[in-house]
Amino acid sequence: MALDDDDIPTATPLADPSQDADGALMAEEALEEEAQDYRSFLKTRNISAQTIRKGEKDFESHGTAKQENALEQSRQAMQEVLSYTRIHKLQNWQRAWYFPDWWADYNEGEERENDKNGEKRPYGHIRDRVVLLETPSATTQNFGRAVTGQPKDAPARSKDWLLPEEALYLIERGSLDLWWPTRGLEELFPPPTVTKDGEASAESLLDAVGEAFNTGEDEEYETGFPLSLQAAYSLLVGDDGERGKISLQKFQVYSNLKRASYQVHRALPVQGESSISQSPPSPTLWQWFSSLLSSERKPQPFGPLVQPGLYRSYVPIYKQMAIIPRHKPSAVPSSQFETSDPFAVHFHIWKPAAKWSKIRHPAPDFYVAVVDAQETEVPSFEEITALTDSTPPAPGKPEWTGPGRLYPRLKHGHRNVIVAVVDHGIINYMRFAEGAFGDELLFERFDSRTVPRGGKAGGRGGRGGGRGGRGGRGRGRGRGGR
Amino acid sequence: MLQCTLGECPILTTTTPRVPLHQIYALPVPIRTFPLPTFYPNNPISLLHLAYAWLRQVVSPPAAEPSVHTGAWDPDTRSVHINDPKSIRALWEQGFFGKGSLSRSEPNWLKRELGRRAGQAGHVSEARTESRREERRNAKWKRAKAELEAIEQQRLEEASLEEARLEEAKLVEARLAELQAAEARVRATPHPAPGEATPPRTPPMEPRPPVGPAELLALPNSLASLAMKHILVSVERTYKPPVGPAELLALPNSSASPLVAAASEASASTTPVPVEHLDGVKAVPSSLANGIVSPPASVASANGSARSTSETREGQPLKRRKSVRFSPQVESTTFQHHDPPSPRHSAGGSPSRTTSVLVDEARDTAVVAPSPPIIFQGEAPTPVPEAAVPVGELANKEHFQLAPEEAFFLVFAVGTLSVVDPVMLAPIPTDKLLDLFCAHSYYPPREISSPSRSLQPQDPFLVNYAVYHHFRSLGWVPRHGIKFGVDWILYQRGPVFDHSEFGIMVMPSFSDKRWELVEHEKPKKSWSWLMGANRVLAHVLKSMVLVYVDIPPPSVFEEAMRHNGGIAEALKKYTIREVMVRRFSANRNR
Repeated sequence: MALDDDDIPTATPLADPSQDADGALMAEEALEEEAQDYRSFLKTRNISAQTIRKGEKDFESHGTAKQENALEQSRQAMQEVLSYTRIHKLQNWQRAWYFPDWWADYNEGEERENDKNGEKRPYGHIRDRVVLLETPSATTQNFGRAVTGQPKDAPARSKDWLLPEEALYLIERGSLDLWWPTRGLEELFPPPTVTKDGEASAESLLDAVGEAFNTGEDEEYETGFPLSLQAAYSLLVGDDGERGKISLQKFQVYSNLKRASYQVHRALPVQGESSISQSPPSPTLWQWFSSLLSSERKPQPFGPLVQPGLYRSYVPIYKQMAIIPRHKPSAVPSSQFETSDPFAVHFHIWKPAAKWSKIRHPAPDFYVAVVDAQETEVPSFEEITALTDSTPPAPGKPEWTGPGRLYPRLKHGHRNVIVAVVDHGIINYMRFAEGAFGDELLFERFDSRTVPRGGKAGGRGGRGGGRGGRGGRGRGRGRGGR
Repeated sequence: MLQCTLGECPILTTTTPRVPLHQIYALPVPIRTFPLPTFYPNNPISLLHLAYAWLRQVVSPPAAEPSVHTGAWDPDTRSVHINDPKSIRALWEQGFFGKGSLSRSEPNWLKRELGRRAGQAGHVSEARTESRREERRNAKWKRAKAELEAIEQQRLEEASLEEARLEEAKLVEARLAELQAAEARVRATPHPAPGEATPPRTPPMEPRPPVGPAELLALPNSLASLAMKHILVSVERTYKPPVGPAELLALPNSSASPLVAAASEASASTTPVPVEHLDGVKAVPSSLANGIVSPPASVASANGSARSTSETREGQPLKRRKSVRFSPQVESTTFQHHDPPSPRHSAGGSPSRTTSVLVDEARDTAVVAPSPPIIFQGEAPTPVPEAAVPVGELANKEHFQLAPEEAFFLVFAVGTLSVVDPVMLAPIPTDKLLDLFCAHSYYPPREISSPSRSLQPQDPFLVNYAVYHHFRSLGWVPRHGIKFGVDWILYQRGPVFDHSEFGIMVMPSFSDKRWELVEHEKPKKSWSWLMGANRVLAHVLKSMVLVYVDIPPPSVFEEAMRHNGGIAEALKKYTIREVMVRRFSANRNR
């Protein structure tokens, strides 16, 4: 029996099985913030991909050599892990060039088309692509994109262009060198010239420089010079809405999600999307007819809403009480509001999956908006409804039916969005979902509680009298006597 | 317990009250329904039963539902008071409205008080919670005790190992001293004549070269150096590093010192090892374990913790290490909340000081005067139970109180309550009651009679009531959630049956453009506010729901009130939208 509302129900031994998953999740979340025992790093040499099992936390020294040994071992392990030498192999060395203005005049309108197979392509953000990747590699295969539809003699044709966050993330990761060009794009990446043999070849200045680079001569800086990480930050991080830059908060969220091994794409810009305003579907003739038949009496101005009388079921009682309109999630967004920055979807993210490519992938798993904890507040009614309505419908799992799965159903909600709240670099993700309490008419189940089972009417009357206080009117007793 | 389901669990069946809960709390609202018996086509008698039930209700219809209870408005507590016991039980059992003024929720002060005077707890929820908390406290206490015992065990093992090593070191020391003495003798003797050169008295060592004791000590892996290192390490933990082994050995109270001193003494002057001294060493832990301090003996405690907390040297600050021991026999199996894990070792309290502190002080001040053994008792003085009071004299001092939202729902939606004026004792009409509640939803309460004051759509009462009504009319049981840091908590059936699953924050909103012309207070909620509330709710395994109430502008509201018909129409203009909120962990959703 659970008659205590200020009790901590964690200790209740009989937990609802449907809650077990949630409970485990919470315990794991608690673990998430604990310090790491570095000894577990040592057992497996593959450091980066390991999920670390956390040990027990000792809060004070209790003076045993065992504890000190364990601590010392852990320190040693940490030392060893931190002294691990990272090696950058030459064949993995990648260079990218900063060309901030190449796509400044690009007309984004062309970027909304479907490709040949009718698949919808991700929005290109071409104007924001300011970093040109010199050669593709395995590390960068899911980054950047080529700008298609260029003439054959366009320089750097079919090369991948990176968004600022992609470039910065790769640079920070140590996978990319950002270079400042001292020559023009046309010189560095000239359009392919068709030779007499009919083979297309691009005679690039870089080839010569590349040789110089390999032999270690000074000419390697003939075409440009490498930029420091600080320089990359100052070039690629800017204010919201600045072309070719990304705000610091958004970059922090981007790299956090990437490091958590999600696939992340920039979503459509906010102003590009006009909300679909549709009038609610007009009632069919039958609906109109039936509404006439069941025309509810107008409620009394000051109640009582429930007309006194004899009721055989609770459904009509509760129907009379229903005066405040209830929200019904639908396939068509009902909101009359438009999203506005910062409460707009900024990133589409996908859980890590083997069959994901930057061109071909399913619909995003989550939609992320990035806000600053200091500059914004908890979203208003307009902001949150517009935000959730800008995501596709997301009803819960089909197997969540019946009263037993009421809580999972309600907690999942419908359309949902993840708001990454960034407070000075600390990110807290909150999931906001459209609630659907109006879909759960609990009162429909009340009748089954009180329905008499096979001729127990006499017993019921007696029970009413036995309690003495039931209803304070002794009706149960009276009826039983008759 | 794993295979014990709700139905067959022996514990649960024995503690279940005689009347099943679902029968006591059968009605979701204070309205009784009269469902007709089901008609089964394959059972003709059921048709007769149905006809009989129907005829009976036609001939003598039951009184129209609902019947009306009476409550009095109390402006001081901003609640509606109900004193009739029958009404109290009815409102509590039929939909979980209100709370007892002296109880957590169910009005059971009288029951508790009767139980208390009869000397037993009784089956009230408060008592059950208390006993469950007691259990949890005991479990925690036992767990802490087990942990400490494990640590103590470990420490004893290590101490015995160390002792064994010291024994060896002692032997080596003795041997070294012997060597030293021999060498000194050799040096002291005048240079012998070449002819009568005597072989050294030291036994021939296999590797010749390290001859002198200094060289011997410098040997990296000699037993002595090992022991020395050990002493060094164990002392270094609490002292400034001693400079050399000699100083180290000279340390007055290092545990090694009696042993080493004894060893050197033995080697130098062949006096027997002071046996009583060592006996004292052995005797201390047992006396400690019994919680009885016998001061002189404890001075030479060989225990690791006592050693580390030994007296200061050259004015260094005293470092004390916490040490907790448990006695092998259990004096008491009941524990008070304020008891420390080990009763007689509670830290620093004036009547019950820890033995180790006492030991330390005894050593610090070198007080060796015998004092009577002190026996520490962990039990706080238990309150003397009150003399049993005759039960018949006890009057119920508790009344029942309904929050304004609950009262208004019972008046306006169900029609089962009539609120009377506390002074005039006349029923307050519903529209006046609404004005009253709205005016009292501000502090200080606003004037009701003033003509300028009229109902405003953003009155906190109206906004809260809209939320309350919304969930009540769906069949939920909303109750005030201030204990959980939220506005409302939602029970699916009621606090008797289940824990509430949702915590609700009411978010007033003014999205209508016409609000721009009207002065109103814009709610501002920071992110830290949301995270804090969410954390608290997650701790009690509830989900957070932000309930946005989009408030109609005054023009719309007033028109609905005036022309079309009262608050029933006006409430239709409120839009309610639930937003489910929870933390998203990037690491757990891959």
